[in-house]
Amino acid sequence: MIGTAAQIAAQISQGARSAASVLADAKALIAARNPELNCFTATTFERAAREAAAIDDLRAQGRGLPPLAGVPFAVKNLFDVEAMVTLAGAKINAGNAAAAADATIVSRLSRAGAILVGALNMEELAYGFLTENHHYGVTRNPRDRTRGAGGSSGGSAAAVGAGMVPITLGSDTSGSIRVPASLCGVFGLKPTYGRLSRTGTYPFVNSFDHVGPFASDVLGLALAYDAMQGPDPDDPACAQRPVEPVSTALALPRGLRIGILGGWFHDWADPAARRSVQLAAAALGATQWAELKHAEVARAAAYIITGAEGGALHRPRLLEQYEDFGPASRARLVAGSLIPASWVVQAQRVRRQAYLEAVALFDRFDLLIAAAAPAVAPRVGQETLLINGRSIATKAGLGVLTQPISCIGLPVCTVPVWPGEGETPEERELPVGVQIIGAPWREDLCLAAARTLEQAAIAEIRLR
Amino acid sequence: MPAALNDPLEPYVRAALALQGYRFDEAQIAEIAAQFSRLQAIAQSVFDWPLPFGSEAAPVFRP
Repeated sequence: MIGTAAQIAAQISQGARSAASVLADAKALIAARNPELNCFTATTFERAAREAAAIDDLRAQGRGLPPLAGVPFAVKNLFDVEAMVTLAGAKINAGNAAAAADATIVSRLSRAGAILVGALNMEELAYGFLTENHHYGVTRNPRDRTRGAGGSSGGSAAAVGAGMVPITLGSDTSGSIRVPASLCGVFGLKPTYGRLSRTGTYPFVNSFDHVGPFASDVLGLALAYDAMQGPDPDDPACAQRPVEPVSTALALPRGLRIGILGGWFHDWADPAARRSVQLAAAALGATQWAELKHAEVARAAAYIITGAEGGALHRPRLLEQYEDFGPASRARLVAGSLIPASWVVQAQRVRRQAYLEAVALFDRFDLLIAAAAPAVAPRVGQETLLINGRSIATKAGLGVLTQPISCIGLPVCTVPVWPGEGETPEERELPVGVQIIGAPWREDLCLAAARTLEQAAIAEIRLR
Repeated sequence: MPAALNDPLEPYVRAALALQGYRFDEAQIAEIAAQFSRLQAIAQSVFDWPLPFGSEAAPVFRP
């Protein structure tokens, strides 16, 4: 294993490893593991070598190192990377000009000393919970190669889950960080809507697009998150809030009230997912049930807004290049562009009301927990999930527990839990993540609870 | 026979496609109509929640 972000930074700072040797290790791991998993769509090793040399020079000069000095990371290929074409998983973008600069949060990670090693596969245009990309191939699950990594940030989750890099970046419109984190067994953070800048990120649904990190441990997640925080006037949705560091304060305050989401979130969790929640609840001392009464309607609102905004965004290219879009997305995008305005307005009213309901729930609870996916990772090509006797299309069903939360912008840390449930020995080796959901801007509590679960060995990454 | 011909929403889909300037063959229209039917089925529930008359939309969402 390459090590966690904090381990790597400490080793480089103490002279136990050089940034160049860490980079060499990352390159070897990528060469060994990526061919089978298909996480990376491009590597940036020349740039990485320059940045690693700069870190090693800093240390040789006896100067202080930044907090993520020499830590390799990679990004979903919808983030702008200077001199690289931003694909967003789509053939229609392959002929675009290369990006002139890094996306804001990529450059912030670089300034914190992290070293970019490549771009990662994703679902085409971030529209879907699988990473079975028609143009760039399937990203496979590092726990079981016959299964998918989930999506849309599948390459980001699988690269961490396979131990190639300790930190990656992804985006989450409806669950695209949380679902693949759950399926691949890694930590993921979807911050509050507006917390992290999206400048230089290929858009999908402006109303819901979030960006955030994946990591192999909670401290790595927190260090990356801290490095990326801060206002950005270039992103109209970015809150102009100061940096609120969390990585130095990951202890969970005493007496926190943690609720277990029932209703929709229990109904759509299979026995393995319920067991994950049960394990997390026991470790956190959570015994009270809570309910977001209109979760199903919030999910429906998310569907309508996603279809309308995504369809409108891509309409010009759908008119000209329909056949260049993948078969899994083109008809859905066109259908979305036909949604009447009255549906969208009603969906936005529902969204506001669902948010007010959720905020009221935080009068009684400090955190809420729920499964991050309804079941373990499905097999590649599996068309339906069977959840407590009900069949649902895999493509939509994997996000059934995440969409109601991103619709209202709440911060969520997803942690990898190992329920040991399933019909086969293979299934019993697979994770189902747990969402730790906070009130707006309370990422600190989400991460502190995640750290508590990690220390209790309930949440952990398991490399193969 | 394309599935779209049995879909009661098909006239809307055809009209909306024309309004937006799309030109598709019958098979493509059938596929799009099927997708639109799925969206319509989901959309029903957002109208089932009796919201207060004055409740506002959240076009730019700032928690």
